[in-house]
Amino acid sequence: MSAEWQTAPQEARRRRPLLEVQGLTVRFGGLLAVADLDLRVEEGEILALVGPNGAGKTTVLNCISGFVRPAAGCIHFAGRDLLALGPERRAALGIGRTFQNGQLFASMTVLENLLIGRHTYLRAGLLQGLLPCGPAKSEDARARQRAHEILAWLELEPYADCVVAALPAGLQKLVGVARALAGEPRLLLLDEPAAGVSLREVAALAEQLRRWNAELGLTLLLIEHNMEVVQAVAQRVCVLNYGRKLAEGEPGRVLREPAVLEAYLGRDEEVNPLQEQEVSDHAAG
Amino acid sequence: MKRMDLPLKRGRLGQSAPRAALSLTASERPGGASGSTRLAWQRAAATLLGLLALVLLPLLFDLLFGDSADFQLHRVTLILILAIAALAQNLLTGYAAQPSLGNAAFFGVSAYLLAWLNSDLQQPYWLAILVALLACALLGLIVGGPALSVSGAHLAIATLGLVVLTGSLLTLWDTSAGRQSYELTALPEALGDDRVLYYLVLALTALIFFCAFHLLRSRVGRAWIALRDSEVAAAACGVALTRYKLLAFVVSAVLTGLAGVLYATWGTTATASMSSVDQTIAFLTMIVVGGAGSLSGSLLGALFVGLVPLLLGELPDPLMLGPLQLPIATLTTGIYGVLLLLALIFFPGGLSAVFSRGGRLAREEGGKP
Amino acid sequence: MLALLQVLLSGLVTGSLYGLLALGIVLIYRTTGVLNFAYGALAATVTSFLYVLLTGPRLPFWPALLLSLLFALLLGALVERGFARPLLAAPILTKAIATLALALVLQTVVQALWPQLTSPVHFPTPFEGHALHFGGLYLSLVDGLTLLTMVLLLIVLQLFLLRTRLGMAMRATADSLEAARLMGIPVGLIFLLVWMLASLLAAVAGILIAARQTVIDVQFMDPVLLLAFIGAVLGGLDRLEGAVLGGALVGLAENVLALLLAGHSLGALDLGNPGIREALIFAGFVLLLLLRPRGLFGGAALRRV
Repeated sequence: MSAEWQTAPQEARRRRPLLEVQGLTVRFGGLLAVADLDLRVEEGEILALVGPNGAGKTTVLNCISGFVRPAAGCIHFAGRDLLALGPERRAALGIGRTFQNGQLFASMTVLENLLIGRHTYLRAGLLQGLLPCGPAKSEDARARQRAHEILAWLELEPYADCVVAALPAGLQKLVGVARALAGEPRLLLLDEPAAGVSLREVAALAEQLRRWNAELGLTLLLIEHNMEVVQAVAQRVCVLNYGRKLAEGEPGRVLREPAVLEAYLGRDEEVNPLQEQEVSDHAAG
Repeated sequence: MKRMDLPLKRGRLGQSAPRAALSLTASERPGGASGSTRLAWQRAAATLLGLLALVLLPLLFDLLFGDSADFQLHRVTLILILAIAALAQNLLTGYAAQPSLGNAAFFGVSAYLLAWLNSDLQQPYWLAILVALLACALLGLIVGGPALSVSGAHLAIATLGLVVLTGSLLTLWDTSAGRQSYELTALPEALGDDRVLYYLVLALTALIFFCAFHLLRSRVGRAWIALRDSEVAAAACGVALTRYKLLAFVVSAVLTGLAGVLYATWGTTATASMSSVDQTIAFLTMIVVGGAGSLSGSLLGALFVGLVPLLLGELPDPLMLGPLQLPIATLTTGIYGVLLLLALIFFPGGLSAVFSRGGRLAREEGGKP
Repeated sequence: MLALLQVLLSGLVTGSLYGLLALGIVLIYRTTGVLNFAYGALAATVTSFLYVLLTGPRLPFWPALLLSLLFALLLGALVERGFARPLLAAPILTKAIATLALALVLQTVVQALWPQLTSPVHFPTPFEGHALHFGGLYLSLVDGLTLLTMVLLLIVLQLFLLRTRLGMAMRATADSLEAARLMGIPVGLIFLLVWMLASLLAAVAGILIAARQTVIDVQFMDPVLLLAFIGAVLGGLDRLEGAVLGGALVGLAENVLALLLAGHSLGALDLGNPGIREALIFAGFVLLLLLRPRGLFGGAALRRV
């Protein structure tokens, strides 16, 4: 499989984006959460979705992974129409996902969390599962091997047999990512990976994101409030406000646009992502 | 759909693995795997010893009770049957997190089907059981399908309604056929021997628990636990929620059905009270007292529900406590209730949590849904 | 026509009793997350207390009633402190099983204290044998009082919950425990008051039901409770009006079915059999819940990811 991926013709990838969202509209009762949004994510790209609280960012991710049914619009992934598929089918197509609030399988060990992440690669059904040996067990052993490799890669190996609920919050966050990576996705949706991560660790996180992108060829679509992370990793930024696309393009340019500044500064003074950035830029200049 | 492979070859990772984003201090590192392996061995040894004790139990009873040994063994058989029903409820509620109270419906239906096929239609006993179990699987599918759209307390009450409905239908069958309960008149003769029945039930229970142990560590069992811990995350990992919930309903229905036919065989009769609110309460009590989401919990729960009333029944009546004279006969239910309450208040995670040091957190949806 | 009206009227009375019980069930469920299967036993305990006051020391009815309602408040407080508080953080099923255990304990205590209630006894009230007539319609005095009590209780309860600070605090606690706690609402006190209030409602319902059927024993509330639960779930389990309407619906259905089925038979089967009625009610309930998974009057659930 890897060989095929490496020889995939460059122009084929340019022709069609990996993820294509067109005219996405979501309503919650009378509230328009997302309005006529177009979004394209190219294979191998890192796109950041930013915007003030309540701008509809998580709703967009939920539409892509299938937890929210849009009122209008269409979503294509690798040429397939996603809207007709349930969340588990989308996962099987290669869309991985982390959650803002973790949503880990808290009663299981770290390793078992990753095994669930590999669920779509396994075939064993009820009857094979009943037996202490047979194809189900050998298949399971291979999945365990793979999960251990991923854990080792993320330096989580020592915690493989720990129950997730007993781990500190920062580690749990990483387990969430490991679980998504265990599914070997083509597209990884990250919902605020830097939330709750201390400032000291933000730079390391940014490096991690770049590493997954570079080494795994992983396409990343992330929601992030921390503009340092966004500037450090995103190749493109899409700014949402009140469910509408406010701006899109290179992070350096987009985040200075007046409309974007107003969306952050004018309406939501608590979240003031650029101020710090501007100050540090001035200091640097 | 073909996918790229993770370039996770050992050598490459070895060269390029940079430091982890979230580095940890040494104190946070866990003790390592040797502890958990030792625990697993201890557990396996304890299980084998327990099984051996159960196999030798009839001999022990001969020494202890003499002539009434068979009678006492008969009572133990009931606890084993209850354990199967507890396991069924636990798979559905403790693992797959479906708060369904409908299992008593399958318990009664399978017993009645056995009685009808075996006693009235003169079909072979084992064939009748097979048909009853298949019917339960089908019924589980029929109940489970709609149950997917109903959740939480609504599902609990709706399935409880189903039990009452089934109970009244079975009663109507009895009254219209002019009988009090359905007697099993054509049971295989061998099963009339308490020892044979005991060993049969013991073998079945052991086999079922053995299979359940492996199932819960397989892809299917993990998917159940995953959807208990977080439905959205399970779906995002590719677990087909509908499929696995339905599977849990079917497996639970079949196991409850098996417990039902064994129970009817044990008592040589099927009664409508097998599908009643009281029966549902017994099932639930077993998993809550024993420990939801724990195999040993199912056993301990069955032990509590099966044994405590028996032991209370053995108390002298009236019981003299110093100057106090307690009319035990009227108090047994109340004492049972108090014991149940104490167990719930002091062991909220179930009795099994007491025994498993640092074991899994048997957690369910806490508080309000 | 008159027969139908008569049935609807008595259905309304039965329904309002179910509604009253459903109200208490929803009140407790919403605030403390307890599916209270001991609710019937609570009602039966207070009713038994009243019975003993009426037959033992032969107190006049009204003072005895007042004492019983005070006893209900005390019982509610006792149950909250001794039973519900220690289990507050337990999973919902554990709490439900615990209420079943509580019901067993309450019933045994009643049996041990007043052994005469083990078998059915006559429940004396001053209303027995009196009736009201409207045109051709007949309404027993107890039924009239039931409707009157129900209307008054609902008005008072509504005013209490909507207009008083305490009532608003209760609603806030029911909506979000965390938010209420952050707002400085003494949540523990609210739990206590909710259990006392619910216990009072149970007592009123239990006494009215006892007066209606004139014969009670220690378990006389058991068959009623499940129907009240059905009413509560049909109402959506989340709002008080829904509980009352759901309860009323169950009561109406029960009486209308009784009218329709009486005297008919299917082969050897007498359709007037209460078992058939019960089966039909439960079947209808399960079907309705399939069509409206969150109850007839329940709000839509927003799934948050």
